[in-house]
Amino acid sequence: MESLHPRIRLLWIGQGVITAAVFGVVLAAVDQWLLEVPTAALAAVVGLVFVLGAAYAIRLYQVWQFELQPDALYLERGVITFVETAVPFVRVQHVDTQFGPIERALGLSSVVVYTAGSRNADVRIPGLPPNRARELQDTLRELAVESEADDAV
Amino acid sequence: MNRLHPLSAVVYALQYGFVWLWIPVFLVVVLSGVFDPIRAAWMPLFALAGLAFGLVYGVAYYYRFGYQVTEDTFDVASGVFARRSREIPYGRIQNVDIRQGVVQRLIGLAIVSIETAGGGDTEASLNFVSEAEATRLQNEIRRRTAGAKNRRRRRTERPMADTPDDEADLIGPRRPPEMRRDDAMSDPDLESLGPGTGAGDSVAHWETPTETFAEPRRQRLFDLDSRELLLYSFTSFRPAAVAAVLFIFFLATDTIVEFFLTVAQPVGGPADLETGTTGSYGVLTIVSLINGIVITYLLSVAYTFATYYDFRLGRIDEDFVYERGLLQRYSGSVPSEKVQSVTVTDNPAQRLIGYAGLWVETAGYGPDSNGGSQSAVPLARRDRVYSFTENLTDVETPAFRSPPTLARRRYLVRYGLVAAGIVAVAFGFTQVTIFDRWYLAAIVFAAVPVAAHLRYVNLEYYVGDEHLVIRRGFWRRRTTIIPYYRIQTVSTRRSIFQRRLGLASLIVDTASSQSFSWTAPTIYDVDLEDARDVHQTSRNRLQSALRERADADDHGLSVDFT
Repeated sequence: MESLHPRIRLLWIGQGVITAAVFGVVLAAVDQWLLEVPTAALAAVVGLVFVLGAAYAIRLYQVWQFELQPDALYLERGVITFVETAVPFVRVQHVDTQFGPIERALGLSSVVVYTAGSRNADVRIPGLPPNRARELQDTLRELAVESEADDAV
Repeated sequence: MNRLHPLSAVVYALQYGFVWLWIPVFLVVVLSGVFDPIRAAWMPLFALAGLAFGLVYGVAYYYRFGYQVTEDTFDVASGVFARRSREIPYGRIQNVDIRQGVVQRLIGLAIVSIETAGGGDTEASLNFVSEAEATRLQNEIRRRTAGAKNRRRRRTERPMADTPDDEADLIGPRRPPEMRRDDAMSDPDLESLGPGTGAGDSVAHWETPTETFAEPRRQRLFDLDSRELLLYSFTSFRPAAVAAVLFIFFLATDTIVEFFLTVAQPVGGPADLETGTTGSYGVLTIVSLINGIVITYLLSVAYTFATYYDFRLGRIDEDFVYERGLLQRYSGSVPSEKVQSVTVTDNPAQRLIGYAGLWVETAGYGPDSNGGSQSAVPLARRDRVYSFTENLTDVETPAFRSPPTLARRRYLVRYGLVAAGIVAVAFGFTQVTIFDRWYLAAIVFAAVPVAAHLRYVNLEYYVGDEHLVIRRGFWRRRTTIIPYYRIQTVSTRRSIFQRRLGLASLIVDTASSQSFSWTAPTIYDVDLEDARDVHQTSRNRLQSALRERADADDHGLSVDFT
């Protein structure tokens, strides 16, 4: 099983910081218009959200694993709900590599695998070094092209 | 990498410029209300900065967008800050569209869209390229797609690698195996075929001859007779009727209130809305509520009746064709090759009288409101539905397994929490109104064990040789038959609570549009080992089904409907 790049934790912690900031802005708005919110309470809530977010990020990194099995791409992930997913190569519709500005700054990429499943089942593997992401995309593409299905779905 | 037509740069710049003009304006307005140092006077400055940024971004987007036709994929790379590079194998491309608006035709531009299977957005959209380039791309991709499809051996026929066991129906009578292929519910009377009934020569086989140049013959499979239609109308309820009733109420509020008053008067309702006692208002409320429910129900019945009036299902070659409707005749066809899964549905009322319906899921999005799922048999006697299902899918009679009883405990807790929520709402209600006996709401707790048990007993699954059968739901019980060959992804999920009890849910995704419910077929709350076992089995059998189909070409086997 392969893990993600450790730097992905920074990205997820960053998301926690943003969430904490949103909570802070909402509470500030409540304080302004509706009722008094003591500054200590505001700081406590923001701090708590941040700590929870950081703990979540670190735990998520610990459990996130994937591997290429003979017939399928297999992933394990999830903190609250632990999910093990298998995507047979024959079901891969197309593959993306993506990175957002923050991922780019951290030198990371994501690989996104699309299937024809309902609910637009797409599987995202975040936090890979760009060359590994590229390599995985090539591998998955080759496996998808090779594997036979007489109709696309 | 090829670039888009230079004019696209102008269009993108204008689009993004307009969008980014408004974002800072909105932000300044909102934030200036919250934080004192931010002033509304900054708005024009920020708006101009936003516009400039948008223009630059649009041009940059054009320069950072590239597409390429390669050996075995069509590649698209896009994005300025967030990059995305996409590779679409030719074998997976469904269609290439060229669209041109009026303005685009004048200046000779076109939008090329490339679609793969599965719902959702267009996978690759090139706006704009020149007309010549669009045509070139379309031809190029078409040529390569055809090449990719030729390389994979064309298979128009499917294997029938299973031998139907003669465990006949789930519930119905046992029939010899040769009978299972020709009684296709075309028999107009309601009597299900018992052993020996009409067991003449079984020449009418499901398999069509490989000769397809002959005149296609329409074969009747099922006609909904009037009794079934009435039963179906009266035993099914359409939520849309509630919306319709509310709509009518808004249109003609006065008339309806008048009507309610008139109806409630004989049983002690008020003379009019202004003069009444608490008691008479109570009577009016109850009578009106009953009226409302009855009217809604009748509307639902009428709607179902009109929709499924004179429903017929037939077969022409490899397609199922159906038509239905009283006021508006609706007909369509489902290629059997595209059937993803088959679902038997029934609600408590239908189970009571021993009836069920059958739905077929395809990967497409039909013109009908219910997406890719089509009713094959709206309602018929359960045993006939099951035998029809077996004919359709060649699934053996399921020997269902249940989740462990531990699962029931979860539902007890879950519904207990719901009940507690209801009581809490009732308590809140008494705080702001004249009512004060909130504890009466605690009666809902009596329903908790019943609800938990009913949910539990309707959860079943069966791991067959060729199919997975998943049953769930009480109010609308669905028994979905999924051929392993149609599986897209399998996931084993465990929430915190499930992990504590060592349970897991298995989600089996197919390409059907899942109009039935927003959840893919799921086996809920089985032991983790069992879930992993089914997970692995499904994967293995998908692979073996793929191999079988590849081998079957060499033998030219005939058609079945999985």
